[in-house]
Amino acid sequence: MKKLLVILSILTSLPAFAGEEVQVGVKGMVCAFCAQGIEKKFKGEPAVEKIKVSLEKKYVKLTFKDGQKLSKEKISELLKDAGYEAVFDGTK
Amino acid sequence: MRLLAATILLFIGTLAIAHPTSYKGATGIMSYNTPTTNELLLTYSLSHRFALATTYLRDSSSEFYIPRANFLLARWNEHDSQANIYLSGGSGWEKFNNKTYSAHLAELIADWESRKYYVYLEHQYLRRNNIDNNLLATQDYNHSKARFGIAPFLAEFDELNVWAILQFDKHLNNTQIEATPFLRFYIRNVLWEIGAGFNGSFNFNFMIHL
Repeated sequence: MKKLLVILSILTSLPAFAGEEVQVGVKGMVCAFCAQGIEKKFKGEPAVEKIKVSLEKKYVKLTFKDGQKLSKEKISELLKDAGYEAVFDGTK
Repeated sequence: MRLLAATILLFIGTLAIAHPTSYKGATGIMSYNTPTTNELLLTYSLSHRFALATTYLRDSSSEFYIPRANFLLARWNEHDSQANIYLSGGSGWEKFNNKTYSAHLAELIADWESRKYYVYLEHQYLRRNNIDNNLLATQDYNHSKARFGIAPFLAEFDELNVWAILQFDKHLNNTQIEATPFLRFYIRNVLWEIGAGFNGSFNFNFMIHL
């Protein structure tokens, strides 16, 4: 019984270790080449586990590796390097 | 003479619709083809504002090799659209009858694009010093182009995107303006276009960003 409780406890605590997510709006992303360029830009970042780019909703969603993250400034810089502008929480 | 003029018009007409600059570190490979001409354009973007590029052009009588530099002069990023002004220039050479002549190219591009509409304006100037080709009316070549596109449906970037584009060309001092409808397809980093002129000519353009 004690063993089972330990296993359950470990399993239920797993989501706490899942990578953090951030969703950033992108101004100027209107074509597939734009989206592909942005995806490629973030793929080169070691802290990034997963990238989802939506051309329709004009955002990039980043899932980070455990314990890692990119600052807003870094995200803005990467988007600027790609030729676009980051929008956080409805503001530039 | 008419054939030569038509050939030149066709090959100059294929020079546009490139993405002169892309994101930092991006390589672009573009190919523009007509029944009489082929063009290969390679670009490498050192930043999203500046790219080094080289153009290879071939028609029935000449081959052009033109290294060039592409600049993004201005960009306006909006929530639903993007507008750009590009300047491109380069110097190279033309091979004609086993002889080599210098050639110079300058290009000014303005475009505006949303997910639904697309407008592209271009003026191109080519200076060729091929004094041995008596069939050339002038060594200076001016070409203006306008393209207007509409996407019949919206798709995500990893789905097939389709555009209908109408292109207008004005060559040299001709008063006549040519119109060519195109269908453009792209998915992720690959784009291709098929165009059919009202005079029976056809175009096939291809572009990939690596």
